[in-house]
Amino acid sequence: MGGFGALLRKDLKLELRTGDSTITLVALSMLILLVLVLAFNPTQGRSGDLAAGALWVALIFAGMLGSSRALVAERENSCILGLLLSPIDCAHIYAAKLAAAFIFMMVAEAASIILLMLFFNLEFGMRLARLVPTVMLGGLGFSAVSTLLATIASRTRAGDLLLPVLVVPVFVPALIAGVKASAAALAGATMFEMAGWLKIMIAFDVLFVVAGYLLFDYVVVED
Amino acid sequence: MSQPILEARALAKLFGVTPVFSGVELKVGPGEGVLIIGRNGAGKSTLMKTLSGLIAPTSGQSLVCGQESRHLKTSNRRVGVLAHQSMLYPNLTARENLEFYGELYALPSPAASASQWLERMDLAAAAEKRVRTFSRGMEQRLAIARALLPEPDLLLLDEPFAALDRDGVALVTGLIKESIARRRAVLITAHAPLDLGGLQFTMLELVRGRLAAFGGEGRHERLRSLSAG
Repeated sequence: MGGFGALLRKDLKLELRTGDSTITLVALSMLILLVLVLAFNPTQGRSGDLAAGALWVALIFAGMLGSSRALVAERENSCILGLLLSPIDCAHIYAAKLAAAFIFMMVAEAASIILLMLFFNLEFGMRLARLVPTVMLGGLGFSAVSTLLATIASRTRAGDLLLPVLVVPVFVPALIAGVKASAAALAGATMFEMAGWLKIMIAFDVLFVVAGYLLFDYVVVED
Repeated sequence: MSQPILEARALAKLFGVTPVFSGVELKVGPGEGVLIIGRNGAGKSTLMKTLSGLIAPTSGQSLVCGQESRHLKTSNRRVGVLAHQSMLYPNLTARENLEFYGELYALPSPAASASQWLERMDLAAAAEKRVRTFSRGMEQRLAIARALLPEPDLLLLDEPFAALDRDGVALVTGLIKESIARRRAVLITAHAPLDLGGLQFTMLELVRGRLAAFGGEGRHERLRSLSAG
């Protein structure tokens, strides 16, 4: 896994240096939350449901932007060919790209949760703490799907336009489970009560992480 | 002849229904060099990518050390490729780029190898500068260092002298000579015959998708048109 470590360190170094993905993701999340707060009045009850919905809208939009950005560095100067020529296994390239996309998404989500607390008058406590596993599982699933599909989309002429059309329908099962689990967490449900939704998210994550790990070799190489 | 490092058997590539090349037969052994000449758009770069395993042939085989280049075992990928794009990260420095590739190839000391190659390519003074700020010639030198860094058995160089100044050309010619002396197989593509400092390279020509010996009937016309192209 030496190649995995080198690739992830390189991606994090590039991100720290340019801030391309994280700054854009945080800014977009902020903007989406602000629009939703202005559109709906969170003080008039049901703020938990609204907050859950707003969080997942921000996650999806920011995630799509982040996943397409993650491959831009590899397409520039055809660096992806350098990776494919090296002894590193394609599955490790996928794992490193997935890990980088997940880390960038979590940074954006951490910022989103802080903003959510401010905009929706949520108190810091166990309810928010219960949101963490839901967001992490959702972020992992979305990163897994979008990294794989962004690689396919990047080889087409209208890749950026194609990505949302491909990713969102595939992510729907995890999205429904994520919104329901988040709303339950913010309404004060226990982890036991949320378990059903979380299990769906875990199954989705396992399925797509394994699928990406096995299929990346076929989607990244040119025909 | 010893076991060839690179071998192509009836290699053909089509993009859709458009043939790029077909029936390519090629053998390059240790310490041997082949120069493939062709006009712009003749398919030299596609041939190079197919030989290195980066793209799949439509039919035929491309073998590196007896293994299909498309399915080389990860531990045995010792092919150095210089393509049109440098495969260098613009926002990393020259040193960081070489160290990164050194880590990918699991070199014993990526930092020491990077320093050595920066020195050899006369880029030590620019080692800490981002590649984004490099001139095209400096980037080409660094790309050649990247290709040679893992000490590959096979070196595939697509237009290696592009954008290089006189010193750069001498430097790269020296590296090609050294590679031949170290029993590497070297395949170069160019759009015109090259002065390789007295090295005996087999010269082939890619014309209308077929690989043939350079020379013979019509050679002077071809040379003239190649020089003009």
